[in-house]
Amino acid sequence: MSLTDEIQRVAKRYPDPKSAILPALRLAQEQYGWLSRAAIEEVGEALDLTPAYCMSVASFYDLFNLEAAGRHTIEVCTNVCCGLVNAQAVLESFEQELGVAPGETTADGEITLRAVECLGGCSTPTIVAVDHRYRQSVTPEDVPAIVEELRNGR
Amino acid sequence: MAAEASPALVLAGAEEQPLRDLAAYRAVGGYAQLERARAQEPQQVIAELIESNLRGRGGAFFPTGRKASFIPTPDKVAKPVYITVNADESEPGTFKDREIMLRVPHRLIEGCLIAAHAIQSRFVFIYIRGEYSTEYDVLQAALDEARAAGLLGDVTMVIHRGAGAYICGEETALLSSLEGERGQPRSKPPFPAIEGLYAAPTLINNVETITTIPKVLEVGPAVYAQIGAPPDSTGTRLFCLSGNVARPGVYELPHGITTRHLVEEVGGGVPDGRSLKAVMMGGSSFPVMTPDDLDTKLDANSLGQKGYFIGSGVVCVLDDRTCMVQFALRVGQFYMHESCGKCTPCRIGTRWLVQMLRAVENGAASESDFDLALDVCDRIIGKCLCVLGDSDAMIVASCVTKFRDEFRAHLEHGGCPFGHDSSLDRLFAPADQHHLAPVAHEAGV
Amino acid sequence: MSDLVRVTIDEREVHVPKGTGIVETALAAGIEIPVFCYEPRLGEGIGACRMCIVEIEGIPKLQTACTTTATDGMVVKTARTSEKASVGQNGTLEFILVNHPLDCPVCDKGGECPLQDLTFRYGPGNTRMNFEKLTFEKPIPISPAISLDRERCILCYRCTRFSEDVSEDGQLVARNRGAMSVITTFEDEPYSGPFTGNVTELCPVGALLPTQYRFEGRPWEIQNVPTVCGMCSVGCNVNATVREGKVKRILSRNHPEIDEGWLCDKGRFAFSHTRAADRIVDPIKRVRLRGFEPVSWDDALDEAERLLRAAHGRVVVALSGSETVEQAYALAKLVRVGLGSHEAMLPEEVSHGLDAYGLPLSAIRDAQVVVVLGDVSVAERAPIVDLWIKAARRNGARVLDELDEKAVRDADRAVLIWSGPGGRGGATVAAHAERLGLAGKPGCGAFYLPETPNGRGAADAWAAASDEEPVETESVGLLIVSGDEAANDPNVRALAERAESVIAVSMFHGLAVGWADLVLPGTSYLERDGTYVNLEGRLQRLRRSAIPPAPDELTWLSQLASRFGVELAPHAPSVFAELSERIYGGLAFGEVGERAPLRGYAGAPEHVETPPLPEPEAAREGLRLVCYKPLFSGPAVERVEELQFQRPPAEVELARADAQARGIANGATVTVSHNGTSVQLHARIAKDLRKGVVRIAREHAGDLRGTVEVSA
Repeated sequence: MSLTDEIQRVAKRYPDPKSAILPALRLAQEQYGWLSRAAIEEVGEALDLTPAYCMSVASFYDLFNLEAAGRHTIEVCTNVCCGLVNAQAVLESFEQELGVAPGETTADGEITLRAVECLGGCSTPTIVAVDHRYRQSVTPEDVPAIVEELRNGR
Repeated sequence: MAAEASPALVLAGAEEQPLRDLAAYRAVGGYAQLERARAQEPQQVIAELIESNLRGRGGAFFPTGRKASFIPTPDKVAKPVYITVNADESEPGTFKDREIMLRVPHRLIEGCLIAAHAIQSRFVFIYIRGEYSTEYDVLQAALDEARAAGLLGDVTMVIHRGAGAYICGEETALLSSLEGERGQPRSKPPFPAIEGLYAAPTLINNVETITTIPKVLEVGPAVYAQIGAPPDSTGTRLFCLSGNVARPGVYELPHGITTRHLVEEVGGGVPDGRSLKAVMMGGSSFPVMTPDDLDTKLDANSLGQKGYFIGSGVVCVLDDRTCMVQFALRVGQFYMHESCGKCTPCRIGTRWLVQMLRAVENGAASESDFDLALDVCDRIIGKCLCVLGDSDAMIVASCVTKFRDEFRAHLEHGGCPFGHDSSLDRLFAPADQHHLAPVAHEAGV
Repeated sequence: MSDLVRVTIDEREVHVPKGTGIVETALAAGIEIPVFCYEPRLGEGIGACRMCIVEIEGIPKLQTACTTTATDGMVVKTARTSEKASVGQNGTLEFILVNHPLDCPVCDKGGECPLQDLTFRYGPGNTRMNFEKLTFEKPIPISPAISLDRERCILCYRCTRFSEDVSEDGQLVARNRGAMSVITTFEDEPYSGPFTGNVTELCPVGALLPTQYRFEGRPWEIQNVPTVCGMCSVGCNVNATVREGKVKRILSRNHPEIDEGWLCDKGRFAFSHTRAADRIVDPIKRVRLRGFEPVSWDDALDEAERLLRAAHGRVVVALSGSETVEQAYALAKLVRVGLGSHEAMLPEEVSHGLDAYGLPLSAIRDAQVVVVLGDVSVAERAPIVDLWIKAARRNGARVLDELDEKAVRDADRAVLIWSGPGGRGGATVAAHAERLGLAGKPGCGAFYLPETPNGRGAADAWAAASDEEPVETESVGLLIVSGDEAANDPNVRALAERAESVIAVSMFHGLAVGWADLVLPGTSYLERDGTYVNLEGRLQRLRRSAIPPAPDELTWLSQLASRFGVELAPHAPSVFAELSERIYGGLAFGEVGERAPLRGYAGAPEHVETPPLPEPEAAREGLRLVCYKPLFSGPAVERVEELQFQRPPAEVELARADAQARGIANGATVTVSHNGTSVQLHARIAKDLRKGVVRIAREHAGDLRGTVEVSA
């Protein structure tokens, strides 16, 4: 099924197809890895919205990449609850292991590292979302294995 | 999990094992209340909710039954009426709705269907925060199962995934987002009950609130109204205990236990021989609690008397290694990052506060700046379109007021007196990334 | 009255209709509530800027006046009397100024800036912010016509709401969130479309500014002359900003029945054609062997007289439809009374059939059913009408592109609109209106969208000058080409080939020099006094805003007329007085007014026979080609640098079904052919086009006519 067809299928769930813009952008991002100009234009075409409007909506939400991102994402919660129990050390381990700063992608285009706001896993700090799946109680010691896992899984 | 006999209602049956599939849920009496409710007049269900005095668990603590009673009946409006469940749990320190979706997804669905019957709605949207992937999968699977079992009747239920914006937990912003717009709040009135989703009457409830409904009907509203701290804070609460505490977790306990009991008895106290310095109480949106108030009961009225809020049930413990300037700064950065940008005081004020707090942390402020910060907070509180700016101003103002000596020490020390010993030292804030704003040259923040 | 409610504002009692906004209610009580984001023309208030914050008795939280409506017994305290509201309002201004640069001395908005004014009246005297302000790259051209200064932007969202909710182009949007929010277009695309310039007037600060006005004037150096736009038949009311005799800017001058304060970009930005490099400032005469050379006015009038006499009554006048009523009348009087020549080439057909169905344009917004007939986009012909139709749709009206007779008959308020060729000057749509019983039905009516701004007025004036009928002549002795549109018209040029001699009145060298024997300098509507008749039939007053580089048409026409014993005043008021006796019921020039009312046409006969409707066209092979005059075309637009990006691309528009049947994708290069001629164009799938019709801008159609075929 083409992206356009898939978007239009999802849009049918809603009384107004415009409501499907978040799922549509999500589908486009899953397909292209990020919301390139072409991806946004495709979403706009499918939902009969202008590309400017789609970009405007996408840019409001943290989960959408308006720039090219890595094949994998590592998101480290750095809000206070995780911070109180050393999320910064976890983030710094990832920075060291990957050789990139938060917001950056490894030179090989494989892994994007992000610091993110509270992920809602405060009882098992530090929460790290690896490709959008939560890992609980991550410590700096766990970091090399996580990176290794992603690199081997390519 | 809990350190004492659990009076679990919301999580009943899932104390040890998640209760994910339909058969298991039915085995603990699942969907029986839906059947019973559907046999009743819708008004009767609302009357029971009113009698139970169940109140909203999302933070505002508004009586659930009354809210439902505001929705006009179908003969009074030409448009359909909608139910929207707020599963956009993003308040720092809050992780209870996630537990509910993972452990008792069917109870949430049952609650939705009972509410749909009560207000005669045929459309339910569950707005789940975009980061919750596993939770979405579990809930979607439960929904598919319920649909296949014919439990939905003529109700259409859609799980709508957010995309990473804290503000979408605000009810009108959630509606904007669900309608396909930028998730910016709308001015109230009109209230969603009259003009909500697609300008139609809409009932918006938090996950915990909706999930409590089947249990309210099961135990009976009169019994439920006696649990906890009646008359206002009835029933149980999913407390979110985190931070510097030995046994963090979600604990379903009746309203009215003391903070000290929760932290020390249930949570095992502050570990590593440290002492408790403050509690982020109710969430990051409210004044922080100081140790002298630890005996305050966790119910709305007791907390209210001391200037606290029960919020979304957050109890995050800060031990004595926490620099309160860093804490206020990090929370401030969160609000700056999450401000939607629609109204002036919030958009500008949250950023200005961050600039001021950073200056304090660097020792580059003066005593009069504390009063300026408080004045800026005052010019935010009650002046914004929604409560996001107020939330920032409330917690920051409480830190400045209650920990003024520690703030002053930063000036005297010419920087953070904790050095690198603060537990929040070097904590990175995503607000620093601004990866979506290549055109901006950020200076000073 | 029962629908009035009593509201107390700052201890003043006022009665207003229930539901009136508090900003308006306060105004009724003589109290100003300052606003930034609130602009009623953009729809309901959004409560974003927080400037209009007030205290309302019984509500603990401060409320925004722009989102609150009056209810009976409501007690409102504005910042004048409420300490709480005052702190809030003062705070709002302080917050706005935290990032707003204090560059007023070099800001084009300075002196006419709402932020400046409101800060002066309500704001803090100094700043307590001592950190670095947010800085952005600036100014950014969001199009060649508009620049954006993001540092000055206060994010009131007026511009984005206009783009989304009024012009509905969805191009100007907010990007990012919170403090990092910025106004932008998609990627590097310019903000384009018929209405973009309105955002420069909506902007309450100096963030969105017209590039043409950059550093061109300060408020104390300028005057705003109230006049009427002469770029199309809508006749939007404008103020021409004038400095030292030159027009520097066009602003809207809200006529609530005509334009509601909106302008199209052609009306707003094309004024600079008056300063075109090839503007003709002296008469130009063909001199044997030496070609064309400037001559004095005395020589020019001698030559004109000679040519007129030499034609022996075989004179044809080609009108542009952009002449003022007075100019057309003066020309007619000279030629018809002075020379006994009665033949005119009118720019388009004019019918009085619609006079029985006249309505103000604003009635479109209130209609329940709007039927748009004809094949040319409304925005290309009469842009503001497109905004009225959009407003109607947002109000819940059914907007149809086929004549659904039942829908029209059943509606309490139905409006028919003809936009395109084949409408016989309005006779066709009038016939539909008559047949569907719209005559005399309140709120019902019909409009015809002419191609020229004053074709109707010019035709009426021409007709009023004499009762003689034209006599067909074999040969054309003299062709008088009146104005640039006529000079640009291929049919006129063809006639000029046949004429023994040609006098052309034109503003631009490029248009008339080379084929006319005598070229007299023309003027722009901005340089004239006089009247225009718009598509509603409304008589509106033009006021001279800029001094023309040469005497205007009335001046030399009166001199020339006197040589033929015809008395003709050189001033518009006198000419109008004479004409008004004949067709405007003796209305005095001075009474046309700055905000002209819609009045009946005094010269209209009691009943106009509406001609029978044409037979429906038989199905045919191929596609019917509609060539249209794009909004962004014509001699004036061609001379405005800032509008070049808006010129129509070389495209053929097709209905989706026709494109699919031919395997043509949007954007593909296609060949459009007819009778051996063919043109290569890009295909665009247009939603508003019916099946079997293709549309090409006239300038890209080449020699294509009638029925065409399109192939991939």
